[in-house]
Amino acid sequence: MKHTGYLIEKFIKDGKVPECPVYDMHGHMGNFSRIHFPMGNASPEIMRERFDKAGVKMLVFCHHWTLFSPDIGNEANISTVRKLPDRLRAYCGLNPNYPEIIQKDVDEFEKYEDVFVGFKMLADYHQLPITHKNYSAAWKYADKKKLLVLLHTWGNSPMDGHEQVRKVAEKYHNARILMGHSCHGEWDKTIELMKDFPNVYAELCAVTDERGVLEKIVAEAGSKKILFGTDWPWFNHHYYIGSVLDAGLSDDALHNIFHRNAEKLLKPLVKNL
Amino acid sequence: MNIEFFDTNVFIGRPMNGVFKPVVTATELISEMHRQKISKSIVWHIFQYEGSPMEGNKMLANQISPYDALYGSWTVLPPQTGEIIRENFFEEMKKNKIAGINMFPEWHAFLLNKITMGDFLSELSERKIPLFLTKGRACISWESLYALMKDFPDIVCVLCDIGIWGVDRYTWPLLEKFPNMYIETSLLSLEEGGLEAAVNKFGADRFVFGTGFPLRYQKAAILQLLHADISEEAKRKIAYGNFERIMKETKL
Repeated sequence: MKHTGYLIEKFIKDGKVPECPVYDMHGHMGNFSRIHFPMGNASPEIMRERFDKAGVKMLVFCHHWTLFSPDIGNEANISTVRKLPDRLRAYCGLNPNYPEIIQKDVDEFEKYEDVFVGFKMLADYHQLPITHKNYSAAWKYADKKKLLVLLHTWGNSPMDGHEQVRKVAEKYHNARILMGHSCHGEWDKTIELMKDFPNVYAELCAVTDERGVLEKIVAEAGSKKILFGTDWPWFNHHYYIGSVLDAGLSDDALHNIFHRNAEKLLKPLVKNL
Repeated sequence: MNIEFFDTNVFIGRPMNGVFKPVVTATELISEMHRQKISKSIVWHIFQYEGSPMEGNKMLANQISPYDALYGSWTVLPPQTGEIIRENFFEEMKKNKIAGINMFPEWHAFLLNKITMGDFLSELSERKIPLFLTKGRACISWESLYALMKDFPDIVCVLCDIGIWGVDRYTWPLLEKFPNMYIETSLLSLEEGGLEAAVNKFGADRFVFGTGFPLRYQKAAILQLLHADISEEAKRKIAYGNFERIMKETKL
């Protein structure tokens, strides 16, 4: 399908396109010590308003407080999703420095099928690689249940770089492995992983900060394994939507990235999607 | 909504280490501006930073001269060495459609302070010539920027490429204390709610539209500003009016 410019015109004019909803597959929630987030404490009403303005149908997130406080843990995710259940789902956050909490979260995962669609690993921050044994219970469970696993991935990282992603992808063929930030900076490796493993996906947060990378990924790996993501509330939906629109992709590719690919992944996990 | 845009953050030329999609000439830039419906741009040449400010400034002037929609920003070095700042410097700026100055003190190995640049910075302040500084490449630390603004509180300073991570804790004190401090919006637009929060606190007059092109996508900043939760008047000021006002107030 060709690039018609229709989607660009509609997004410019209205800020959203009903027939092209946006699924943000990489978000967070809550305030955070290192940055002032104007929308860090947004109420469910404000969130709905912001999402509506940009045509964001669903945000899948992991709360900052889950990731940075084992004392709070996944309660922050559960309570937030339940305040806006038609627009939010969460990744169950894992901190490998506390394997006993991971085990508990895995054991209780089924209790929260209205909340969780998979797991989130932030290995660069927690300083144990995604291959570490402390993650094993979650990997096995995600593989068995075909859950999403959103990884923070960064080029050359010994925690979650392309080599570590390859190792888990070789071991777990059924988990849907989402490379958050797409192994940022090591774009050729990103593309290799997408091609080598049917269950490995690229995610665009921080990718479109550099003009030209998205074009390269689509040219070499196609658009069917690319997911839209923003790290919301770090980054603005319209800013990221604009960058994807500006990459000169076909309408078909834009539909894939903004919603079709996410819908395929989420349909088995979200009732009435 | 039909809004006119003035992009204050664009460079031309091929960076030495390459980028995915460089814009080599002013002619190419004009073509991109037409595509994006951007009316005017302030441009610099990447060679001003990476190689030679002297030669880069000349290359820039030659490139932009045929195009009414383009204005330049020249890079300067300390006056003591006489490499850039000489007699008739400001006349040369006017003759070559140079609307602003940029400096990269960390990369070009000097200290941007009263000792090195005092007289020149005083003259920039008096003439209200915008000084473009960036956080996007080796340019200036926050500490040095704060000290500069303390010594030259009236200087018209446009801070570009403020950072991928939100920097409100650094920029808001500067906006609060110095009325001629401006923020270029390409990365403020990236921050969720960042532009709205800053405009609500400091007013729309303190922000000038920029895209960071060709490193970043122009439509990213355009789409964010068009649909930001601020008034249409505020959008028009940021998109075009504020920098046009700054240019009108400049004495060259």
